[in-house]
Amino acid sequence: MEIDKKKCVGCGNCHAICTMGVIYLDEDGKSIVNVDECVECFTCYRVLRNEGYPVWFVRTIRKILFFLRLGYLAEVDVCPTGAITPPQLEWPRSIRAVFSDPTTIHPGTGVPGRGTDEIKSNDVTGRLRKGEVGFVIEMGRPGTGAYFRDIEKVAMALAKMRPHFEKENPVTQLMVNPETGKIRNDVLNEKVLSAIIEIKTDLDRIPEFLHVLEKVAKEVDTVISVGVASKCLPDGTIPHEEWIKKAGYKLSVDGKTNIGLGRPLYQEN
Amino acid sequence: MTNTLHRQGTTESLKNDYIIFAHTAKGITREGSATKLQEFMRICLKYHPVNIGDGKQGNIYKDDIDIQKLISNQGDGAGALAVFTDLDTLQKVVEELIQADLGISINISGLLDEVQACCRRAGIERHSAEHSLGFWGAKDRLPEREIMEFNTMCGHGMVSFNFIRKMIDYVKLRRLTPKKAARIMAKCCECGAFNPVRAEMLLEKVKKGAR
Repeated sequence: MEIDKKKCVGCGNCHAICTMGVIYLDEDGKSIVNVDECVECFTCYRVLRNEGYPVWFVRTIRKILFFLRLGYLAEVDVCPTGAITPPQLEWPRSIRAVFSDPTTIHPGTGVPGRGTDEIKSNDVTGRLRKGEVGFVIEMGRPGTGAYFRDIEKVAMALAKMRPHFEKENPVTQLMVNPETGKIRNDVLNEKVLSAIIEIKTDLDRIPEFLHVLEKVAKEVDTVISVGVASKCLPDGTIPHEEWIKKAGYKLSVDGKTNIGLGRPLYQEN
Repeated sequence: MTNTLHRQGTTESLKNDYIIFAHTAKGITREGSATKLQEFMRICLKYHPVNIGDGKQGNIYKDDIDIQKLISNQGDGAGALAVFTDLDTLQKVVEELIQADLGISINISGLLDEVQACCRRAGIERHSAEHSLGFWGAKDRLPEREIMEFNTMCGHGMVSFNFIRKMIDYVKLRRLTPKKAARIMAKCCECGAFNPVRAEMLLEKVKKGAR
């Protein structure tokens, strides 16, 4: 994202709204974006309504108020002068917006942003079948963002265990070789709000996968939200619960449920 | 996206937080899904969700959005969602969706046992389920629990830690009411998974110094 310094009045609203906290006040009292850390999520541009005030007007008011020892307090969800300017992004920087801006449809998956189907359509796709477990490893969330070099590190550690990387997943589609987890070099230094590594394996391999993940998670400077999923048994039992407990990990009380209304229902042989 | 999977909070607080969403699969149910998604949204709207939207067009808290237009503009797409604050209403929505037989996948995020009971009362058994295993890695970079409860209500992470802190401060200083602050936060969450009623309840506690 860019901020037009000719228009910026330094109200600071964009500093707080920035998902990565990378907009700050420059020496001249105008806001500036740390472009290395910006993930191009466009939240500042979308949420802060352009009030359309003339720049000279807002600056004059601010000066008068400052003189009177009064503060200027803009509404929290506005950019008074419309200074936030969306840039034309070129490859590889454009990958930041594809993963970080949920209004962008990923060309490979047809799903907005970094999203994937995981169990959300499992009733019709049969992505996760009897005896299988799926892991969704979301790197950079909550609130820290992730570089692809770190995402690659985790993907490569998991790849050694020979999982099945989900093909219709935006991270898998950036892999040079899903057998190694290697991600294409030109995106490794790009940062995104988050990205999801999506794999599946057999239920009985849950402990070893979590062990590897726990180890590599200590080697990256970002947070990872981990999810685990499986197809329920006919009586509604969740097969992965038992394995997760055996492996010594704690399951959340809340979660996601596919209630099985999709048609045609995927039939396993 | 694992967008609604990692919502944080006490079990008591999560009892006010159920997200129901329709999802289509490329090459199976996505093509020709527009009318089905529209019908899904109409059914949800009938039961007064506290938020409703989709990733492409945004949610009802965005400036100048018309819900009827949002529904009629819904084309073939990945999905749409709505947020409810109680199980009874959720169950009515599920029952009507079963009747409507739209043929697209329907998911619910919320307390797993409660959702299962809701499905059973509606006469169906769950198909697949997903748990959160929490946050791993550089957890020292995460803020305090209160901030996380707000932040994780937007699955795409569009409500920043700093903005949540600002809203909490504004509520404490009486510059914004909890309701107004919650609605402004909801604007950031494009797809509409943010629960402004639960956020308002959390902010009311903050206002009274209870947290």
